[in-house]
Amino acid sequence: MIGVKLISSFRAGMQVVKSAKLRSLSLMLGIIIGVASVITVIAISTGIKAQISSQIRSYGPDIITIRPTSVGLGSGLVRGSDLANFSISNPMILKDIKTVSQATGVAEVAPLTLVSGPVKSSSGVYKPGFVVGTSSSLPNLINQSLAFGNFFTSSPANNGNVAVLGQTAAQDLFNENVPLGSSFTFHGQNFVVAGIFNSFNATPLSREANFNNAIFIPNSTAESLTNDTAPTYEIFARAKQVNQTSIVAKNIAAALDTEHGGVSNLSVSTGNQNIAQNNNILNLLTGLIAGVAAVSLLVAGIGIMNVMLVSVSERVREIGIRKAVGATNQQIRSQFMAEAAFISLIGGILGLALAFIIDMAIRASTYLTPIITWQSVVLATGVSLIIGIVFGTIPATRAASKDPIEALRTE
Amino acid sequence: MPLIQLQDVSKLYGFGDATTLALDEVNLTIDKGEFVAVMGPSGCGKSTLLNLIGLLDKPSHGQYRLNDKLVSRLNSNQAAKIRRDKIGFIFQFFNLLPKLSALENVALPLTYKGVTQTKRLKIASEMLDRVGVQDREYYLPGQLSGGQLQCVAIARALVNNPQIIIADEPTGNLDSGSSRLVMELLSEIHKMGNTIIFVTHNPELTRFATRVVYMHDGSIVHDESSTVGRVANRARKVLYTLPATKEEDDLAGVSLLMKALPIKSSISDRLSPKYLTKNNIKRRSKRKALGKQAK
Repeated sequence: MIGVKLISSFRAGMQVVKSAKLRSLSLMLGIIIGVASVITVIAISTGIKAQISSQIRSYGPDIITIRPTSVGLGSGLVRGSDLANFSISNPMILKDIKTVSQATGVAEVAPLTLVSGPVKSSSGVYKPGFVVGTSSSLPNLINQSLAFGNFFTSSPANNGNVAVLGQTAAQDLFNENVPLGSSFTFHGQNFVVAGIFNSFNATPLSREANFNNAIFIPNSTAESLTNDTAPTYEIFARAKQVNQTSIVAKNIAAALDTEHGGVSNLSVSTGNQNIAQNNNILNLLTGLIAGVAAVSLLVAGIGIMNVMLVSVSERVREIGIRKAVGATNQQIRSQFMAEAAFISLIGGILGLALAFIIDMAIRASTYLTPIITWQSVVLATGVSLIIGIVFGTIPATRAASKDPIEALRTE
Repeated sequence: MPLIQLQDVSKLYGFGDATTLALDEVNLTIDKGEFVAVMGPSGCGKSTLLNLIGLLDKPSHGQYRLNDKLVSRLNSNQAAKIRRDKIGFIFQFFNLLPKLSALENVALPLTYKGVTQTKRLKIASEMLDRVGVQDREYYLPGQLSGGQLQCVAIARALVNNPQIIIADEPTGNLDSGSSRLVMELLSEIHKMGNTIIFVTHNPELTRFATRVVYMHDGSIVHDESSTVGRVANRARKVLYTLPATKEEDDLAGVSLLMKALPIKSSISDRLSPKYLTKNNIKRRSKRKALGKQAK
């Protein structure tokens, strides 16, 4: 019975849409734009969140990162060609690396120390590349495997002028996929390629500061090349026991504070903390933008109410006729509500379709991968339906309360 | 047991100084199976009476019993359900929904009863067949002639198999051929046992009625039973003995019936110059002339 009524109300709604196509479309437009923008904003932010946390997770949630609190250029957004200007106002130094590795509960440590200077090979200077001094623990710490060769070990015999290359760096430097044993010049010294990494996950916002462009050399070599002046912009560490990660992070922070005389401007964070921090910021931003988009939905709802009111006063005679043949007030009300709900629901579905198209366009033209979740789909359809019902109530009630005789009398 | 029973029913419109008395303590009893014609000048309360009987309106005073059940104080939803199940309306201007086809228009009352669409359209199609416009099922009202429209409207009124058919000037907007068609259709329906109440200005149409009620200024002034096939007595008077309405009568809204009804002329009428017609002046001069001859 209710089903029959629902279907017939839906049919009535469809009839209205058919009979007033332009009006219905202009009505829907507000809902379409509103739903599409809310879904797109949420999808972009979900996508970024997923990308960032997958990157952090690929390093492992138990990894502890130590960073200077102020960096001249955002470390994530550095271009290779900018490296000459790269400055860290308070870079970490060799002593910090030692302090971290000696803190209680630390199993292994890998610094990332930037060494500036041109990299020359037989095919010329490799500009986008950058040289990073690190320790033998790096592949293990960031869960990164090698495609070919071996990473340098901590034993001094295997720890001199050797280098491990990111995939792009290997390709660009030597024009071959597996340049194992090839050599390049850096700071006047010859380096031999010992291994090549598998491809690193791309950073979400930039392809430039990509480890695929990086050349890794042992940290000791890096320090000796620069007389211990190379800036270390990040230190990775891992606790001996995974469940001790946060305690060890505190130990590290305390040790660094002691070393810096109580005032350390280094931040120590764990993978989970990073994810949470990122998510917090993104959620805030998403909330703000989605809120603005939601206002457009509200405006669309008011538009629906307006047009429905006009429609009611245009169709007074129809209401009169329907009442004369036996429609109750509720039936008239639900008819008009169904019309409003139908229009806004269709608008919501079209908006959803538009959001999917925008999503594809974003994927095609940027590095972002927006994710439209089923929750946001349900939310969008639900919200558009509710908008129709809420803003259809007043016009529908007005239609239902028309006096049949007066309604029949109007032209 | 009478089907419709009005007891001292009054209907007032407006309030304060602007109050108009549309119905003035009307008493009317209609039995099942009657074919009642309601006649009277414009504004005499015919339509108000029909709206009250059809439960579109509520009386201001008095009692209305339908099937011996007091319905004058029903709430709007209960009234709507009775309208749906027991009463069929036919209007002068057809009142079909312009965007629905003839078939959908006829099926409309069934929609509100909760009948499924397939069943609805089947019943509606049968109804259209009954009134003879089945070949126009999928036409929109704008594509049909007046007579066909009224047939569709009659089909709609009949679709719920109502006890009472209320027709407010069903032929008021039709040519004489279509009028006859519509009235014959109504009398066929009457023969099947339905009670029909209709308003008309055309005395000829009282031929179809079994009873004629004359109204004036909100009251029933005359009520006569009539033989089917003959024009009612009072209506015949209107038809044959009175001059046709003049142009100024039309402008003033004076109908033939108003002229036929026994209304005492007021003092102001006597004093008006119209009262001293040419005939009176002629008669007076004749008398004078006769007097002179006698001398």
